[in-house]
Amino acid sequence: MGARGRLMRLTPYLLLAPGMLWLIIFYVYPGIQMFISSFWSGTLETGFTVSLDNWTTYTDALTRYEPQFARSLVYGAAATTICFLISYPLAYTIAFRGGRYKNVMLFLVIAPFFTSFLLRTQSWKIILGDDGILFGPLKDAGFLPPEFRVLATPAAVVAGIAYNFLPFMTLPIYVSLEKIDGRLVEAAKDLYAGPWRPGGTIAGAIIGTIVGAGLGAALSYDILVMAIVGLGAGLVVGSLFVSESFLRIVLPLSLPGVFAGSLLTFIPAVGDFVNAEILGNTQTRMIGNVIQSRFLENNDYPTAAALSFILMAGILAMVAVYAKILGTEELTSAG
Amino acid sequence: MNDIDPRPTTSDISRRRFIQGSALAGFGAFLAACGTKGAGSAAPSAASEPPASTGSSPSPTTAATSSAPQSPSAELNFANWPLYIDTDDDDKTKHKTLEDFKAKYGTEVKYSEIINANDEFFGTIRPALQAGQDSGWDLIVLTDWMAGRLVRLGWVEQFDLANMPNKVANMLEIYKGIDFDPTDDHHAPWQSGMTGIGFDNAVTGALTSLESLWTADPKWVGKVTFLNEMRDTIGLTMMRKGKDPSKVTDADVDEVITECQKAVSDGIVRAFVGNSYAEDLVSGNVVLAMAWSGDVLAKQAEKETLVWQLPDEGGMLWTDNMMIPKGAQHKYTAELMIDFVYDPVIAAQIAAWVNYVTPVKGAKEVLAKDDPELANSPLIFPPDTFLAKLKIFKSLTEAEETSYNDKFSTLLGN
Repeated sequence: MGARGRLMRLTPYLLLAPGMLWLIIFYVYPGIQMFISSFWSGTLETGFTVSLDNWTTYTDALTRYEPQFARSLVYGAAATTICFLISYPLAYTIAFRGGRYKNVMLFLVIAPFFTSFLLRTQSWKIILGDDGILFGPLKDAGFLPPEFRVLATPAAVVAGIAYNFLPFMTLPIYVSLEKIDGRLVEAAKDLYAGPWRPGGTIAGAIIGTIVGAGLGAALSYDILVMAIVGLGAGLVVGSLFVSESFLRIVLPLSLPGVFAGSLLTFIPAVGDFVNAEILGNTQTRMIGNVIQSRFLENNDYPTAAALSFILMAGILAMVAVYAKILGTEELTSAG
Repeated sequence: MNDIDPRPTTSDISRRRFIQGSALAGFGAFLAACGTKGAGSAAPSAASEPPASTGSSPSPTTAATSSAPQSPSAELNFANWPLYIDTDDDDKTKHKTLEDFKAKYGTEVKYSEIINANDEFFGTIRPALQAGQDSGWDLIVLTDWMAGRLVRLGWVEQFDLANMPNKVANMLEIYKGIDFDPTDDHHAPWQSGMTGIGFDNAVTGALTSLESLWTADPKWVGKVTFLNEMRDTIGLTMMRKGKDPSKVTDADVDEVITECQKAVSDGIVRAFVGNSYAEDLVSGNVVLAMAWSGDVLAKQAEKETLVWQLPDEGGMLWTDNMMIPKGAQHKYTAELMIDFVYDPVIAAQIAAWVNYVTPVKGAKEVLAKDDPELANSPLIFPPDTFLAKLKIFKSLTEAEETSYNDKFSTLLGN
């Protein structure tokens, strides 16, 4: 009994041990190392010294790279929004209309992950090429001016990020939709939940306009045109596809999935540098590009480390606020 | 970024074409900003974990080197860039030059194609060298500016030139007395390459001036790339203004940054890139670029209208250099190897395969007997009219390098 009891008490720790060890070796230890190096001063040839006085590295880095920080947040938010707009209808269709093709469709969502991240991003250069398979025919037909291009613009970078992180949004939303009991929707209909005409039309128009204008600003396209496009799309979706049962049952119950999906998309999107490197140009550099260049090209380890910590702290703060607003516990108990 | 490896697998392709392909792959790997893994089987761990037996069980010959009459060691650890030495068509692990070396001295050369980027490789040897320990390598090959840094840090061995009669006799004049090593006894050039302009003749027509990179011609606005290598872009921009990049000053750099910024804000420059411009030249996304000679030459196979041009104002010459890291186990044998590749016959053998500019006098005459076409290629043996127009970027102090890199990073949006 004694030995067995002790073992039982130890069990949780033993089960945690591999994970904790992993975290300590590959996250905590390098994290501390990096934190210390952010207080370095000196150069490679003279050697580095640590001093707390070097906290100014943080303020200097923040001031100098403010545009890149802002750009990362804007691109991350835009890509997350696009992912949501694509993923929600996709996940909804798979969950409720997938039938026996459910698994095949889920596989197709994940299938791109079988190819390397770099290759997938490179292939966008072929798709979006100035005279490539997409724009070449459109230019020949006269729909687009010959100088039109998407590559080396913000749109290419955001599109690349959205594409690369799409499954991270789709899968959590699918999981939360899949769990919804269909009888709840039937019950709602029995209780006279019908189409949501006037409300849906107005809400769709407002949300569509805001999203359109926001994306227009993020991608540096004409905000007015994008707002009008958003308004139109919002009107159609709001009036035709949004029912009262969806609004009152399905949407609230799927919010935990939306919450998880947006975090899983937004966090890596903000830190991404591959898409900006391959698909962008000098005006689309994100904070990840700066950190990479500071570390590897300029041997400026303190600034690179400081930038990494600012990014981590910033994301942590934003996630905390987001969780406060869309608290997961309330969400799971809602409905 | 581009993991290009167009080496043909069949043997019915011409030797010339084969050479071009190899050169491209070498170039690609050499210039890859992201450090793609090359053909070498040496894993990234190879640098931190020196090839077997370097540290353990000292070979009898290592012991012998300490006594007065030196003899070649049983092995030599040689780190180089991928596809940068003559390689057997059928067996990628066989290099005739290294076999010849073994036949002459009995040394087994452990040749690793492990260097993909200067900074990356520097990162792997820095901890050992900083601690005054053996890096595990006897011979390494790095580009001028990085070579300069190692020499400044005192991390390379001084050659015993008495062991290197070929090197003393056959190194071309243009390479002598470089600022970071005026006595030529810390480094020995391996191969060189040139930076000029590349363009699609069918779109732009023939171009000969760097001025075209700043001209807002509708034929190429938004389809021009500059290089993300600080020395190449600053160098070419200075030459456009008739200045000498081997004497760059702080004021010059500031002016260059302004000039480049102007080309960006005029919408001429699409992006600052590494060797990915070569792919874009083929796809048509880019029609005019600051370009490395070998890249464009190799891409002519895919698009015949591509041209590499040494601009009227001049171009840049860069060199990869052999060095012996401080504390190397087999210094004497490394010196023998350096001297060996300065034998014109061996130099010709390497040059014929890698398609770069060779620093060795007499190699051209040797090659002329076998392959006159290759011997007349201005890209391997630049004639005097070429050489007169080529400049080597100044070897910077650390303070200058930090400052210039920083300004250039800002231009690049970093």
